[in-house]
Amino acid sequence: MTKNRNASTGGTGPTRMVGRRGFMGAVGVSLGTAALGAGIGAAAVHTDAAPSAADSSAAPTGGRFAFHGEHQQGVLTPPQAAAAFLALDVTAADRAELSELFQAVTSRARFLTAGGAPPSVGITAPPSDSGVVGPDISPDGLTVTLSVGASLFDDRYGLADRKPARLVTMPDFPNDALRRDMCDGDLLLQLRADHADTVIHAMRDITRATRGGMAVRWRTDGFISPPRPTGTPRNLMGFKDGTANPNIDDPAEMARLVWAATDGSEPAWTAGGSYHVVRLIRMLVEFWDRVSLREQENMIGRSRDVGAPLTGVNETDTPDYLNDPNGDAIPTGAHIRLANPRTPATDSSRLLRRGYNYNAGTDINGQLDMGLIFTTFNQDIKRQFAAVQQRLVDEALADYISPFGGGYYFALPGARDSNDWLGRTLMN
Amino acid sequence: MVVAVIVAVVIVAVSAVFVSRTFGSSREPSSPSAGAIAVVNGFDACGDGWSGPATGGAFDFAVSNSTIAGEAVYLEGADDRKVYAEAEGLGPSTVYHLRVTLGDGRYRFVCIPAGNDPIAGPVVTVRDSPAGLVPTPGIEVVTRADLLPAAHTYNEWVGSRIKELASDAQRLATAIVSGDRAVSQAAWLTAQQDYSRLGAAYGAFGDLADAIDGDPAAGSSALEDSDLHGLRKIEALLWSDLPIAEAAPVAARLITDIGSLTATLTKTPVNAIDLGLRSHEILEDAIQFTLTGADDAGSHTGLAVIAADIEATRAVLDPIRPLVTPRYAGLSDADAWLARTATLVASYKTGGTWRALDSLDRAQREALDADLERTVELLAPIAAVTDPRVADQ
Repeated sequence: MTKNRNASTGGTGPTRMVGRRGFMGAVGVSLGTAALGAGIGAAAVHTDAAPSAADSSAAPTGGRFAFHGEHQQGVLTPPQAAAAFLALDVTAADRAELSELFQAVTSRARFLTAGGAPPSVGITAPPSDSGVVGPDISPDGLTVTLSVGASLFDDRYGLADRKPARLVTMPDFPNDALRRDMCDGDLLLQLRADHADTVIHAMRDITRATRGGMAVRWRTDGFISPPRPTGTPRNLMGFKDGTANPNIDDPAEMARLVWAATDGSEPAWTAGGSYHVVRLIRMLVEFWDRVSLREQENMIGRSRDVGAPLTGVNETDTPDYLNDPNGDAIPTGAHIRLANPRTPATDSSRLLRRGYNYNAGTDINGQLDMGLIFTTFNQDIKRQFAAVQQRLVDEALADYISPFGGGYYFALPGARDSNDWLGRTLMN
Repeated sequence: MVVAVIVAVVIVAVSAVFVSRTFGSSREPSSPSAGAIAVVNGFDACGDGWSGPATGGAFDFAVSNSTIAGEAVYLEGADDRKVYAEAEGLGPSTVYHLRVTLGDGRYRFVCIPAGNDPIAGPVVTVRDSPAGLVPTPGIEVVTRADLLPAAHTYNEWVGSRIKELASDAQRLATAIVSGDRAVSQAAWLTAQQDYSRLGAAYGAFGDLADAIDGDPAAGSSALEDSDLHGLRKIEALLWSDLPIAEAAPVAARLITDIGSLTATLTKTPVNAIDLGLRSHEILEDAIQFTLTGADDAGSHTGLAVIAADIEATRAVLDPIRPLVTPRYAGLSDADAWLARTATLVASYKTGGTWRALDSLDRAQREALDADLERTVELLAPIAAVTDPRVADQ
């Protein structure tokens, strides 16, 4: 073979993953830069805040979320209808390539969340864009959120001493049936938008622009149902799910419950980030559908039709455990009572939920494989998610669900401006 | 009559929507039809509807064909002859949108009605491009004539490799007759790699390609499929519990089929257009059929085949390299990633033994997948830039 090679052009070039052209090639990267222009930060955008209470039903459509800021999108921002969760393992050869990977994701996210016309490459290359959302890209409420897993801080990239203080590999909890091929990952990419095609478009764009730098480890697509008929959307057990969330309009509460601690217990680079917990929980829906309504409601602690706590009238009523000490109305083993006992001692374990339904075909017995992509943001996984999980061990509901995947991640701080990139404070 | 009607319709459209869109804000999605510039292309007038001077930025040309047959329309630089947009095979009653971002310069449409010489349209000056504009890149087209020397070089190379394949197939047959399974297995891998290195030539082999390296019928394995012969059948037999002698007639048939290759190639050599396409398709096939284990008939030598596929890719690239280098700035990256992938694949060979793909741990497998996928991504533009086109003169 060698004798046929042109010696002057043999494969002896640099093995740097990204040369002058960058991951996306000159065209893609320059477009990302050109698309920045002036005023993205100032453009009309949704704010990070949204109506409180049942905020998950209040997601606007057709909107655009600010990409730049102290925090990433997709944390406090109200959930959109469609989502994809991709856990990725980094295949970058070294630390420099890892930085380039972060920059490439940032560049594509910046463009995709702003929208615009993809660059025309003329006759010089295949189209720069998949065309899935048409010739001009609408932001369509897209948010791109990048998080890092504990495995990124092993010996490959010299980041061991940079690990967020509370980041560990997700353990097996007592009722779990975790398949490790559906768990963990160096990175988690959370893509959410008003429509599934925009999510898929972003997924194809970002994976294309980062080939060589990372490999998909597992992937799950999610959706949120419309309010039926009102209030918080229902999960696939038929119950409204996510009613009692912390108030995202209260910065002090968010500073206590969501954003990384600033008391010196975390590395400084984490400021503005959040612990991102994803749990893939199958619901055994055939079994569930054979359970009487009263038993279902006692397991959850809410009425199925209205979503009201069994001590109340309306969905938004606060469960009254004080006047129900023996669990006559809401059994002491009910899901909502265990998860959030609403006592001063458990107040700091509240967490921000941003869950999605998943629907993934059938299992080997022909049973429907569907359930919940339980997603939360936490300041302290042990104090919040793990503590809640501990209280839920052996709850009655555990017979009807089976957690099989997910992981613990840390959502990076936001990119501050058009020169910044996700992961900069970690890498520099 | 037909022509006249079409022209009339289009002229109305021209006067109605003669708007030159600018790229003032690249974040603003441009609406393709509202701002489109209707441009008529034919014998009497080429590029009719676009006149200058125009302001640099994003253009949307709604090009139509006023001839009564097919036509190719290019938008080219009037000075550098680089093509920035094309509409090939434009039908007589078709409107096709060319979206292109033009920086300062002199441009013109070129019309090539089917079977006719090119007709150049009037030169239009583009100026006053906004700062930071990222124009559509242009290249000089590659013609079929440009590709002929490369195809000739490649065909000569294929001819020499077929001789080597033939002698290695003979060695395989001899080993099988001798009854030594280990030697036969090694000889089989040598022959399989020989064949894989001819990765751009399969199309020219016609039915012989299936005879030599066909896969089993759907729902059947290479061992079970009684109609299958060729390298995969031999592989299945050599790695089975069946007596090695059962592979002897298949090997004899293989020698015959390979013997026919030279004659076939003389009649129908590798097509020039295949070189550019195969520069990424060989590894696309490797990802689809080898990396997945789909074409493994028992030897678990997928990594050896991928190593040969990388060599096959380089063998295609080398003759077209003089055409690609001035047209594709990413070629050096593609070379670097080919080398990176080749090194990784070679690291799984110890002596004459290759690791089985399914013995790689997750991190090893992810690295291999990632390297190959990045490589094909970088190779893909080579097919675009070497797609043969009609030059304007």
